[in-house]
Amino acid sequence: MFKKIITKSMAKSPWIYHINTGSCNGCDIELVAVLTPRYDAERFGFKLAGTPRHADIVVVSGPITSQSKERLIRTLEQVPEPKCVVSIGSCPRSCNVFKGSYSVEGPLENYTHVDVSIAGCTPKPEAIIEGLAKAAEILAEKREAMYK
Amino acid sequence: MKFSFPFLKEALGNLFSKPSTVNFPKVAVEAAPKYRGRIAYDAEKCVNCGMCIKVCSPGAITRTSEDVPEGEKITYEFDLTSCTFCGMCQDFCTTNAIELTADYHMVATDPADLISRGSRIKKKVTGKLTCGDACVYCTLCAKQCPEGAITVDRANKTWEVDESKCVKCGICIDKCPKKCLSFAEGDAEGVVCSDSCVYCTLCAKKCPSEAITVDRANKTWEIDREKCTQCGICINACPKKSLSMGAIE
Repeated sequence: MFKKIITKSMAKSPWIYHINTGSCNGCDIELVAVLTPRYDAERFGFKLAGTPRHADIVVVSGPITSQSKERLIRTLEQVPEPKCVVSIGSCPRSCNVFKGSYSVEGPLENYTHVDVSIAGCTPKPEAIIEGLAKAAEILAEKREAMYK
Repeated sequence: MKFSFPFLKEALGNLFSKPSTVNFPKVAVEAAPKYRGRIAYDAEKCVNCGMCIKVCSPGAITRTSEDVPEGEKITYEFDLTSCTFCGMCQDFCTTNAIELTADYHMVATDPADLISRGSRIKKKVTGKLTCGDACVYCTLCAKQCPEGAITVDRANKTWEVDESKCVKCGICIDKCPKKCLSFAEGDAEGVVCSDSCVYCTLCAKKCPSEAITVDRANKTWEIDREKCTQCGICINACPKKSLSMGAIE
């Protein structure tokens, strides 16, 4: 019974953890805009968590650089299952204009499974809200499958 | 001591004012004018010059061509997960086949959904459109021509094609009930250079398919007809206006 209550309430408050793996800061600004009163993603229960250990959704922006690669892997390992990885913008998917650089270690897909990708450079805040809503749906499905 | 509520007016005003939050998923939000979002590619307009691929800084555009019985099937793919939405491809497209629309809803679980693609079949055409003896002057070809290049006079039994308008799409050939239309070999059309040329090499530099070779020392101008897509970029770039579309000798 407690499990049911927990599952139900967890689905309504997916906490997000944002990791910048070498982004130009454009996507990060838009993600912060999503959390401000203007777009107010907290209406849907999204809350920025201070540590990956509290998070359900990991939002990644930027191409994976050689400096951030180790940190990204360590961060993703700390996120409890079930988790959902969301990529913001073109960079985590394809490295965008940074591809081929000596310090870029390739797309996010090489290190983890990306559940939702939001395209745009940078995406509009509305598109980010859409992407996060989709991630929350996937997360609920994953949790249901896990506790069955 | 004077007792006051410094922000009372603000607080009361905000109690009765509308919230500043955009009620997004319930209320649709349109992107700002000139917003550059999802790429719409019109394969029918494209002349396959490849300029968009050249100007794309993240290399998000790929072109694949395969041989099919009707000619060459050319496919353009715009990878939106690699795009910077700078709009250079749109600006450089000579035929306005690429448009960055205001659609910003680009969310997908499968990255294959974030690829805009389009393909068309380029027919093997070299010569001028000609009409054979079997013609009955039915005017079907003139009616079907998208450019209005064909004029047929039933009374005087004449059939004419305007070379400058004809884009060699081949629709008339498919529609002709007597199968008398064809592209004649020989008087093919292409980019030609006239005597006013100063061998400045601007045309060669602008050519997206690198079909033109100019030798300043020996004063020669050459074009590779196989590579030329007849996009017309060189004609616009020529400072002496000496390039034009004309019959190839």
